[in-house]
Amino acid sequence: MAQVLFGVWNGAVHDNRPGKDDRGVPPPELRDFEQFDEGNGIRAFVGDRGFFVFDESVSLIDTFWHYMDKAAEQSCGKCTPCRMGTVLVRDALGAMRRGLQSNLDLDQLAALAEQIRATSLCGVGQTCASALEQALAHFRDRFEEELKPAKPMKAQHGMAYMTAPCIEACPSKVNVPRYIDYIRDGKPEHSLGVILQKYPMAATCSRVCVRFCEQACRRNLVDEAVGIKILKRYVAEHQTGPHALAFSKDMIAHELPADMKVAVVGAGPAGVSCAYHLLLHGYHVDVFEAMSEAGGMAAIGIPSYRLPKDVLLQEMNAITNLGGTFHFNQALGKDFSVDDLFARGYKAVFLGLGCQEGTLLGCAGENRELVGYESGIGFLLKVHDHVAGIKETKLDGEVVVVGGGNVAMDCVRSAIRMGAKKVHLVYRRTEADMPADHEEIVAAHDEGIEFHVLTNPIEILSEKGKVVGVKLTRMEQTEKDAKGRRNVRAVEGSEFVLPCSIVIAAIGQQVNTTSIHAKDGVEMSKWNWVVADKNTLATSRPGVFAGGDCYSGPSTLIQAMANGLKAARSIDDFVRLGSTRFFPRSRMREIVQANKMLASDCIEVPVKNEYRVHHPELSPEVRKTMFGEVEQVISSEDAYRESMRCMRCYRIYSVITEHAIPEGAA
Amino acid sequence: MCDIETLPPVGAEATLSVSFNGKTVAAYPGETILACARRNGYYIPTLCELEDIDHTPGTCRVCLVEIQVDGIDRTHMVTSCNTPVKDGMVIQTRSKKVRDMQKLQVELLMADHNQDCVTCNRHGNCELQDVAQFVGLRENRFYDPARVAAREIDLSSPAMIRDMTKCIRCQRCVAICRNQQQVDALVITGTGVDTAVGQRYGKSQKDSTCVTCGQCVLVCPTGALGERDETDKVLDFIYDPEVVTVMQFAPAIRVGFGEEFGLPPGTNVEGQIIAAARRLGIDIVLDTNFAADVVIMEEGTELLRRLKAKERPTFTSCCPAWINFAEIHYPDILPLLSSTRSPQQVLSKISKTYLPEKMGIDPKKIRVISIMPCTAKKDEAVRPQLAHDGDPDTDVVLTVREFARLLKNEGIDLKTIEPSAFDNPYISEYSGAGAIFGTTGGVMEAALRTVYKVVNGKELEQIELTQLRGFEGVRSATVDLGPDIGEVKIAMAHGLGEARSLVEQIRAGTADFDFIEIMACPGGCVDGGGTLRSKKHYLPHAMKRRETLFNIDRKTRVRQSHNNPQVQALYRDYLEAPYSEKAHHLLHTFYTDRSKEMALTVKEIWDEITMSTMVY
Repeated sequence: MAQVLFGVWNGAVHDNRPGKDDRGVPPPELRDFEQFDEGNGIRAFVGDRGFFVFDESVSLIDTFWHYMDKAAEQSCGKCTPCRMGTVLVRDALGAMRRGLQSNLDLDQLAALAEQIRATSLCGVGQTCASALEQALAHFRDRFEEELKPAKPMKAQHGMAYMTAPCIEACPSKVNVPRYIDYIRDGKPEHSLGVILQKYPMAATCSRVCVRFCEQACRRNLVDEAVGIKILKRYVAEHQTGPHALAFSKDMIAHELPADMKVAVVGAGPAGVSCAYHLLLHGYHVDVFEAMSEAGGMAAIGIPSYRLPKDVLLQEMNAITNLGGTFHFNQALGKDFSVDDLFARGYKAVFLGLGCQEGTLLGCAGENRELVGYESGIGFLLKVHDHVAGIKETKLDGEVVVVGGGNVAMDCVRSAIRMGAKKVHLVYRRTEADMPADHEEIVAAHDEGIEFHVLTNPIEILSEKGKVVGVKLTRMEQTEKDAKGRRNVRAVEGSEFVLPCSIVIAAIGQQVNTTSIHAKDGVEMSKWNWVVADKNTLATSRPGVFAGGDCYSGPSTLIQAMANGLKAARSIDDFVRLGSTRFFPRSRMREIVQANKMLASDCIEVPVKNEYRVHHPELSPEVRKTMFGEVEQVISSEDAYRESMRCMRCYRIYSVITEHAIPEGAA
Repeated sequence: MCDIETLPPVGAEATLSVSFNGKTVAAYPGETILACARRNGYYIPTLCELEDIDHTPGTCRVCLVEIQVDGIDRTHMVTSCNTPVKDGMVIQTRSKKVRDMQKLQVELLMADHNQDCVTCNRHGNCELQDVAQFVGLRENRFYDPARVAAREIDLSSPAMIRDMTKCIRCQRCVAICRNQQQVDALVITGTGVDTAVGQRYGKSQKDSTCVTCGQCVLVCPTGALGERDETDKVLDFIYDPEVVTVMQFAPAIRVGFGEEFGLPPGTNVEGQIIAAARRLGIDIVLDTNFAADVVIMEEGTELLRRLKAKERPTFTSCCPAWINFAEIHYPDILPLLSSTRSPQQVLSKISKTYLPEKMGIDPKKIRVISIMPCTAKKDEAVRPQLAHDGDPDTDVVLTVREFARLLKNEGIDLKTIEPSAFDNPYISEYSGAGAIFGTTGGVMEAALRTVYKVVNGKELEQIELTQLRGFEGVRSATVDLGPDIGEVKIAMAHGLGEARSLVEQIRAGTADFDFIEIMACPGGCVDGGGTLRSKKHYLPHAMKRRETLFNIDRKTRVRQSHNNPQVQALYRDYLEAPYSEKAHHLLHTFYTDRSKEMALTVKEIWDEITMSTMVY
């Protein structure tokens, strides 16, 4: 473990310098602090609650100059102490490190640091001067020593990283406070621009995202999380309509030669996101899609009452506007193979195949051929075709959906709209255990779905090849196991039959068994998902990368889009350099995460409660009869008000290292 | 020093107890420390906060107090404006730490603030100066002129100046433009020390979606926002022997001017203004009220024609910020606007046609100086369609603030000057109807008095239409105009936020009206963007000014525009009849679509985005 020479963290002063008293403070438990990148040791670290020095020769003045330079650069400028204080402190430290006379002495520096920390409006100011304040309070001798020679100090290597809990929680690392800030500033288009830096499907994401960011939002400690998704929806409106932001080829900084082409297989969120970033890198991208339209699971797996089809279609235009080409009705394994793609001259291949085959319930009487037996995804596909006017599906009688995830919720809420007499949801655990979004569960209740929790199917009943019912058993929770988790077991003798005409198994999915064959040389997992390296998304076959559901199993839209971005970076490195590079920001994230730096804090001073706005919604009685969009966009007034709720919990972390940190793209 | 009245929350009970500087007081759940302090007489300096518009952005960080809450030993510095009280909270407003930090905060504010106070139009009336005095700022260690030089001054608009070297980033202007006026023209630009207030899409004031209503000027705590000062131009005219100066002043001026010279708010200082104008050396002092009567004759006749032609609704056209708003934000409704020029422009036009003819003066020598409660009137004066052979009909417009400055420059004290009276036999008399033009509903009331007479041949019995005199943002009524016309549906909106919602309803077909009065400023001209500024308050004298206007109406000899003998003479001797060809030529105008193209590409936006980057 890395040995702290001296430092302060969370108010605890550590001093292990020779001849100094360590004051009996137990050494901090630091994980993963030995080196930043291969052979590049960490000499010092500065964060929101203190700093550590690992190496006697570190210059504190230069270290804090690095850190405060980032703070001054990232100060939003709204409040006085942070706006001006960070600049004054940075400039004073800057003069000192150059051996010049600073116009502020150490006392004034300390007073400014305290002022910034104690009186700033948001997280940047409240945390960025804390470490310096502590350093000046407890290690002033070091500063004085460094100032004695009055000559330029040796420049130190390092980097600074600013993040926030919502950013870290987001798989795509969207700069959430920044885009909320732009709304406050009155610039919703710029807000959308921040999102579009990460993925092209802002309007889709704003409707169906599972919102890891809101779970991480520190506003939860005050009243309720900021309505981040609601705000995204508000700004995403600028992607459609008469003044839609135009995607154009001038967004591509350097177009590459014609032979620099990449094949993307699957036009779902992962593939589209990957194609988008490759196009922005200047590559020529062909997207192969088995279906006759783009969007993947977002198109077929998400019902139109949550995501209108025209919204998605508009987003797909980003790809064509940037020069990408969609090839529809082209299925991997049927119309072409991975070998074919390389033979056609593609430098790399991205697999964004999705997980489109339903997992079987594994109970007696189950047979895919039965009339009335559907997989969750298969059913949603029928709903899609019905709503799109491609093929009508009529429902009569009662419907039983098995599962507790978002796909199951989509199935029950679609079934009621398709005219089912009654819709049942069967889930083996409790409602609180359901992985589906809470809002989806509440909406399903409101729309009259009957929930059967702690219930599991044991047999599909059929007559003459037609489903007539499901035999179910009641389940009960077991005692907590060592990990504190409760399992469930069947209650003996509690079996009962629920008559129905349709049963939908919405418990899981796998990659279509016909797409990847052994000769493709792409390793598959036991779940029949594509195996890939988690850092680079490279598969077992060189030049082939994978992301989205086919790699992770059924997951979220935002996860898929994040994979697309990561794969695009890896592909760019692979094509141009033959290998993928070190990515400093990811490394900073690892350190922040391993040491739970963003996790442990509370809000000590009272904050005025301002409860979040909600989407205007249609009444359950109206909406359960239609596939039109249920959630409406909020007004500008509400958007301004909601944006004011963000507390901007930015935190800055910086390292000083032995050598220069390699500049990596991926 | 603390004259901000904070009312206890409605229906709440003061169930909490907190202590200020050692003394325990009762507090209401949910109220802020600042509100509680004000109720109990503890002064806390504030700067960005503005109680009257519920604005607490917490950006200046001056209203610091030191608090201790239950269970936590150490104290915290918090901004009192947005921190709620908690039971048992111990609050220090004057501890050494509080005083030191407040002082340092103001010093930081001054670090990039233009220090040339004596040249500033807010000198002596500036909230930043007040706060600096309160905290006892004695040194200014961080000031760097280079930072000031880097900040923008937008001189593009004929009406308003946006001087970011004096901006303290309180965002009051953004709030008033966004929430109250709902024009939403202002945005926050830049980050860090470059943070400022700018126009949407980076445009200059002149090319922006701003309608120059000037409400932002009324709330600005410093001299960052203000009118374009044209007092020198007036002095040039006065001291040019070749020029005959004509001064007009709007209905609202006489009731919103006295307080600058220590008279009670709402005092009618018409006589003092006339005397002061003469002392300044103005040759002919006229009254915009007269032109308001003429406007009623023209607009009333136009309205009746439109009603007969089933062209409805008709919007009033006196308010230049409203005209800007319609031209920039809703050009599709321009055909619904009355073509009658505003009283300012009517007066200027007849001052350069009828008046010189009557008085035997060369019209080319006349320069019209207009005193208005309005910043947008400066915009109106330079409209190309309101000029004759390239020379504007109105030569210069001064806001109330500039007029006050001018009188002080010339050593004239309104408080001690002997009041005088109008003496021009052609253009100075006014009816009560013209007088009430300055307040919301006044134009409507004046119009109805005359329209009723025109339609029915007899006067409206009940002259004061008290049912129209509410103060709600939008008021509507149905008025019976007699057998010929029947009932007409009327509406009045003041404040552009209210105007916008009414316009939206008209466009959507959900509102049905015949005649609509719009005044862009909340309250009407008496609280216009060119009126006197109040520190720490927004529109504090609205009701007093309005009441005085109604009193003027009650005391006038004639109360209907058509009974103003000078107006009758104008039509008899010169214009022939309302809406005659001559009247149409001189007193009507047209409007143009000035909507702004606001489409951006992702590329353009990416080039502007800071502090979030592509990660490759």
